[in-house]
Amino acid sequence: MSETLSNPLSPAAGDGPAAPAPLTLSMQGALNRALGEVLEDNPKALIFGEDVGRLGGVFRITDGLQARFGAERVFDTPLAESGILGMSVGLAMAGFHPIPEVQFDGFAYPAVNQIVSQIGRMNYRSRGALPMPVTLRVPSFGGIRAPELHGESLESLFVHVPGLKVVSPADPHQAYHLLRLAGSMPDPVIFMEPKARYWQKGPVDPADAGALEGARIARPGRHLTLIAWGAMVARCLQVAELAAEDGIEVEVLDLRWLSPIDADGLAESVSRTRRAVVVHEAPRSSGLGAEIAALVTERCFNTLKAPVERVTGFDVPYPSGDLEDEYIPNIDRILFGIQRVLEHRRG
Amino acid sequence: MAELSFPLPDLGEGLIEATILEWLVAEGDQVERNQPLVEVETTKSTVELPSPQAGTVVKVHGDAGSVIAVGDPLIVFEVPDDTAGIVGTVPAEKAPARRVRLSAVLDDD
Repeated sequence: MSETLSNPLSPAAGDGPAAPAPLTLSMQGALNRALGEVLEDNPKALIFGEDVGRLGGVFRITDGLQARFGAERVFDTPLAESGILGMSVGLAMAGFHPIPEVQFDGFAYPAVNQIVSQIGRMNYRSRGALPMPVTLRVPSFGGIRAPELHGESLESLFVHVPGLKVVSPADPHQAYHLLRLAGSMPDPVIFMEPKARYWQKGPVDPADAGALEGARIARPGRHLTLIAWGAMVARCLQVAELAAEDGIEVEVLDLRWLSPIDADGLAESVSRTRRAVVVHEAPRSSGLGAEIAALVTERCFNTLKAPVERVTGFDVPYPSGDLEDEYIPNIDRILFGIQRVLEHRRG
Repeated sequence: MAELSFPLPDLGEGLIEATILEWLVAEGDQVERNQPLVEVETTKSTVELPSPQAGTVVKVHGDAGSVIAVGDPLIVFEVPDDTAGIVGTVPAEKAPARRVRLSAVLDDD
């Protein structure tokens, strides 16, 4: 949370060539730029997955990288996610930094064995002899009218696995810097890209990352903390704007790192606002919202004015595109959750 | 904006060429994905080719009666840079709409 933590990736002012000016990029463009820089910085970094090479990825995130870095460093794989992640294990053991892509979140299921039983615990199993610097990019969540298994919200699956880090950026600036950071980490990172936000442009300042650790206050407010990550952050910012019309000042906390979770950052915000609503796309039961509610309750029980409210997907399979508007938390459902918290009176 | 060129696809069964019978779109037309583009005849059958892409038609190759080889350019589209991936659509940015209004007596303590 601290704004004073320095980011090792940010060039210090006055150090080296003039800092590049802030850019306006889509999240696609920001991720593409970050990947190019990770490959430039680390000759051991490799990108591979389904259609990431010649085609440049179905979402164009790896566009142009094969032409720039060659087919030995950016290459297509067979349609076999367990193979993509299994190969990542071996490459990481051999000293490489694999940056595999699983084309859609729902295709990660065949790779869960490699992720959970190898990537997540190899460092632990080998007592640090075999770190797993694997940056797994997963286009995640719904919102693009995709068919079944092309829009899932898998964070609870991965945050429950010790040894994995899980992060989800909310805007192009965060996407650029978090991917550069993840691509330089010695640990496995599940990088959940909110595909519904791929096309929206926003400012990216390559020279000034800001703090990248923990959660981030995306909008300050004093009456209630709205906690979200990925694509739901933009929606919560809209909700905060609408709530302000009614005189309610909502703080939007972009969680960013889902594992390890920023318990201190959560507590810091909610201890000020004394009310919390958590929003996620995943099913409600045992979703990450439950963990957040527990953490906030443990740390802020005496100051909370109401139980932590959850506004989430439903306990059904994440639906295909035609039904996703009924499933994904919308503005009114989030406002209603806020209203429930505001109305709560201790009995 | 970017231009995307599509070749005559392999129509199967070892066919190496097709004859254009009729273009169903014209240069300048805005087409949707899977919209029929052109009717072609092979030695086996007559088929309509669906558009692999949404976009504006910039150029069509060949008139009715022309023979096009599999792999040769068939049609060129102009597509916006923020085009969707192969699966799904770009979400529309719309002004946030609401029905629920908030009301609370905030005892600011």
